[in-house]
Amino acid sequence: MTITSTSLMSLRDFFSDHKILICFNGPISTNLIGEIGSAIKEHIESNHAPDLEVMDVFSVYIEMSQNIKNYASTKGFNDTESSATVVIAAADPGHYAVCACNLVEMEHGKALVERIRTLADCDKAQLKALYKEQLRRPRSELQGSGAGLGLIEIARRSSQPMEASLEPVDTGRAFFSLRAII
Amino acid sequence: MSTSEGLNLSIPGSQSSPSIRADWDAGVVVMSGESYPENSFELYDQLIQWIDSYLSNVEQSLTLELHLNYLNTSSIRFMIDIFDMLQTAHADGKEVLVQWMYDDRNPRSAELGAEFKEDYTFPFLILSINA
Repeated sequence: MTITSTSLMSLRDFFSDHKILICFNGPISTNLIGEIGSAIKEHIESNHAPDLEVMDVFSVYIEMSQNIKNYASTKGFNDTESSATVVIAAADPGHYAVCACNLVEMEHGKALVERIRTLADCDKAQLKALYKEQLRRPRSELQGSGAGLGLIEIARRSSQPMEASLEPVDTGRAFFSLRAII
Repeated sequence: MSTSEGLNLSIPGSQSSPSIRADWDAGVVVMSGESYPENSFELYDQLIQWIDSYLSNVEQSLTLELHLNYLNTSSIRFMIDIFDMLQTAHADGKEVLVQWMYDDRNPRSAELGAEFKEDYTFPFLILSINA
């Protein structure tokens, strides 16, 4: 389906309705992660947000997008497979939503959803303890587990539990979506 | 020219990686900027090797002056490796010091410094650059 000027308007409406500030859809690269990161900082700073909020949104965004980038590299994904959707939107006053969606193997997706459910039950003190425990884990134990420290960091910066979902596609894979509210 | 000049380390910073200067004669390492490089191993491995070599060859003190506004989790993990080396050196009687410099406008940096400090017994100062 070729895009029309009308469909562009409905895309624009969707962005406005969901208060989307910055959105990206496509193969994610290191340069892009850096550029979008700078744009996020500038954008939120220009809204006179406290620096605390700026750094928290930035940190959550970096962990989320680097997790996706690392996963795609580890899996040897091609451009189509490593295509990700990253969205930064305004939420309730003083809050922001950072969301990302990417292709994962079904088993990894299920493990991630399970992990996020566990983190949702933790209070800030428990998250800090988990974080320190993960930091102290020998590197040899970390092979393949990925996402570990990044997810805990996101949970620590979030003002409410993360929300995750899995949308199965063919070939035993799924789109994994994650939303954090800062 | 000092013979130890070749032992110094100087890595320019970028948007996603801090500048690193390590001075062998002075026993000082200065890091400044934000750290979320694509390949954190590549960056931190050089510094870890320098510190390891310094601590095993030099008797005098080592000071780390850190102006780090933001570190991603993979950089944080490498900083832990560095602080662990300082802790071991401290236990062996070496004089080591970390000066964690933060900007008042960035309270997360002060918190990060405090969380690092919790796990060590060597001198670890957390200082505001606005003071």
